Amino acid sequence: MPAQPPTQDEFYREAAETYHAALERLARAYEADEEVRRDLLQDIHIALWRSFEGFDGRCSLRTWVYRVAHNTAVSHVILQRRNKSQTLVGLEELESVPDLREGERAADRRHALERLWELVQSLKPLDRQVILSYLEGLDAASIGEITGISPGNVATKIHRIKNILARRFQEGGRYGE
Amino acid sequence: MANESPPNDRLRGVWQNQPSEGMLISVDEIRRRAGKFQRKIYWRNTREYVAGLVVVVFFGFEFWRTSDALARVAFALMIAGMLYLLWQLHRRGSARSLPAEMGLASGVEFYRRELERQRDLVQSVWSWYLGPLIPGLVVLTVASAHANPGHLRHSGLFLALFDFFAALVFVFIWRLNRRAARMLQSRIDELNALEGQR
Repeated sequence: MPAQPPTQDEFYREAAETYHAALERLARAYEADEEVRRDLLQDIHIALWRSFEGFDGRCSLRTWVYRVAHNTAVSHVILQRRNKSQTLVGLEELESVPDLREGERAADRRHALERLWELVQSLKPLDRQVILSYLEGLDAASIGEITGISPGNVATKIHRIKNILARRFQEGGRYGE
Repeated sequence: MANESPPNDRLRGVWQNQPSEGMLISVDEIRRRAGKFQRKIYWRNTREYVAGLVVVVFFGFEFWRTSDALARVAFALMIAGMLYLLWQLHRRGSARSLPAEMGLASGVEFYRRELERQRDLVQSVWSWYLGPLIPGLVVLTVASAHANPGHLRHSGLFLALFDFFAALVFVFIWRLNRRAARMLQSRIDELNALEGQR
């Protein structure tokens, strides 16, 4: 007897168990305010559960989860930008503009993390998706599938991310300990 | 990734090992919160429609109360304008992305769609939000001046000044929306360029 395909609830359960920590990190990258961030994370979980009604396995679960999460968060960013003026930058601008704290070493993990949050939260939505996917350890092909950016552009953006991170988080910092 | 530099590896480690609140929401809890969220949207939309209908009822009452033909035309135009506006709000509200589309659409597709929706909204605000109310407002102004012949000497000047300032405000709003539409279009063009080279 052929196995029944997973239900909406089963898909959600699997996604939540596997990716709950990644979703928390994603929410933190899109919203600095703790209280608003909890609402965003809830919105992401609700969107994920509702989206699984239409999930037909045409892409991997991971791709689906990250797309829903990023798209929900982008809607949030768009709404926040309407309510308060917020200037976001692209990776190419960050690469060309020196960081005033480039000489400073990240003293510890906490310090490095705070600077990473600051960096990510300053980025435009698509660049934020790319850098977050990179930090989560996704490969270029997966990043392209989630974001819809062409392979050439993904490669360029990853190259910029590596340069920016190398400049801002100098070797010798103690954040890895 | 191959040829990864150690500092970036460590940074990814720092990123991925952030302390987590461990927030796992059960399916039952998600259903409950999703239901609450839907009800919140439903009541927000209902309040908007009710507010609009209150205005329609008010103008309906004024239409019934007055015997002045010009005023009746004005109130009828206001009622028609409000009903059209409410219909547009309903139509545009139902065009929002459905949950499954969030997973089907890549980041570029979704973001572009949202920007296009906003661009179309600001470009068309005259035709569906401000425009429908203008005929009724103009006729109402004329009707009110016509109904007060004792003040006719000043009413002409008052009307002219009122219409001039109203026109200034409308032109200002139109220019703001045009600028917003241009900015949105340039962001849409940037996104198209990201997809372009395949």
